[in-house]
Amino acid sequence: MLSLQVNNLTKSYGKLRALKGVSFSVEAGEVFGYLGPNGAGKTTTLRIILGLVYANSGELRLLGEKIGRAKCRQAIGFLPGEFNLYGDMTGLAVLDYFARFRPARPPALRDRLLHAFDVQPAVLSRKIKFLSHGTKQKIGLIIAMQHDPDLLLLDEPTTGLDPLVQQAFREIVVDFASRGKTVLFSSHVLSEVEALCGRVAILRRGEMVAVESIEHLRHKMVRRLQARFRGAAPEDLSNTPGVTRAQISGSEAVLWVQGDVNPILRRLAQTNLENFVFPEPELEDIFLSYYRGGENHDA
Amino acid sequence: MMLNLLRRLAARHALFLAVSVILLGWFEYLICALVSTVDISGAAGQIIKSLPPSLRSMLGEEFLGGLTTRGILAFGWNHPIALALGAAIAIVLATRGIAGEIESGAMELLLSQPLSRMNYFAAHVGFAMLALAMLSLSGLLGTAMGQHVFDLKAFATGDLFKLVFNFLLLQSAWFGITLLLSVFGRERGRVASAAFFLALISYLVQVIGRLWPAAAFLLPFSLYTYYSPQALLVESQPVGNSLIILFSAIAVSLGFAAWHFQRRDIP
Repeated sequence: MLSLQVNNLTKSYGKLRALKGVSFSVEAGEVFGYLGPNGAGKTTTLRIILGLVYANSGELRLLGEKIGRAKCRQAIGFLPGEFNLYGDMTGLAVLDYFARFRPARPPALRDRLLHAFDVQPAVLSRKIKFLSHGTKQKIGLIIAMQHDPDLLLLDEPTTGLDPLVQQAFREIVVDFASRGKTVLFSSHVLSEVEALCGRVAILRRGEMVAVESIEHLRHKMVRRLQARFRGAAPEDLSNTPGVTRAQISGSEAVLWVQGDVNPILRRLAQTNLENFVFPEPELEDIFLSYYRGGENHDA
Repeated sequence: MMLNLLRRLAARHALFLAVSVILLGWFEYLICALVSTVDISGAAGQIIKSLPPSLRSMLGEEFLGGLTTRGILAFGWNHPIALALGAAIAIVLATRGIAGEIESGAMELLLSQPLSRMNYFAAHVGFAMLALAMLSLSGLLGTAMGQHVFDLKAFATGDLFKLVFNFLLLQSAWFGITLLLSVFGRERGRVASAAFFLALISYLVQVIGRLWPAAAFLLPFSLYTYYSPQALLVESQPVGNSLIILFSAIAVSLGFAAWHFQRRDIP
């Protein structure tokens, strides 16, 4: 069942076209990644879904119904990318304040979330202005999720969270999806997107570049491998299957590898290798792989 | 939902409002005390006598109500302190409300709740009207208590209520105009500066228009022209037209603000 449908969304700010005919749909129970560099239009899309920004054209449907009226937001939980809670209120007062906007949906998940994010009662009794950025982010997440929404919209949700809390966050998102809830989030942390999302949409300058399954994304991913050899680097490394580009200079080589990494690893094992670095791919590398090709993919 | 917003607004502005309300009540009470203990009209009369005849008659009639006790008491309601307190509440509440919450980033989170923009707008307008009414009534209480304690010749209760209503409409008009600026803005400081500048210009236009006949044509363009405690309390002039003009200014500014707020993007 389709949970969220976005059809041909267009938005301009004066002469700047922020979104150009963006369309995608998210199934109930799906965790959907929304990726793109800064200024691509991710936040604008989320704001249009929430009715904060009005699209010039296009249509939005939540559970088959047109999104528009305030009551549609009963079923939505949202964490903005940058937000500011009321500094003069305590953490608990802020949670209660936002919970009171949904009398029909009490904050049933609050205690569980407080426990999962390790937010102690003493922290909740302090004023927001005295809390760290990470703790404010946790409170923002609890505001978004405490009423057990059917659609969860998260803009860069793990910014400022320590690794343990990030893991707890992932478990909660997986639990949401397993209960048929829909999660749409934008992120720059590729490992997070890989761990959580079934599909991703890639946006560039307001245009949808691709909507891919995560497996397809992994296959398309171009990773950068740096190797140092005892002696001169072999010149034929660029001929290895999967290597799309190579820069070889003296004893050092930089290789861009797409898809299966086994052929290049086997080839390197045959050389007099001194050291190599094969870091986790960055989202920018993925964007480049799509942008360079200039293709549109729809999974 | 409205109650939730109103409770939050009350908690946020409680200290500022309490101080302003007490200050105006105390100020009006103090004016009564001064009138009863010092021969202000005599002292001011000596100063006025030293001025050129044209300026003398104008100052006496327009600002001190002919230098009578009643005129000076009425002047307490036209004093820059009283006007500034009212304008401060009107401007602060309107700028914190929309431009301030957009600037802080709280608006995005707030309007992502199942809260309509009209409910949000109505809560802010309702709260501001309540706050300005409290301020006006506090001034009324100060004057009434002062008249009673110092055994001054009291103004008619009906006239006092008319004055308070006139004061409330004037400050509500400033709230409406500032809220209109606020719905177009996204920075609290800039909106507050623009509103303060408008209020100051409006006040100066009214003063200059009354002192300088050549500038009298500007008077209709100042909101302060439609608020004259001396005319109401001392000369018992009808103020119906002034009230209608102030009410129209409130209706137009709030109506346009609501219309634009409903349609604008929240950045």
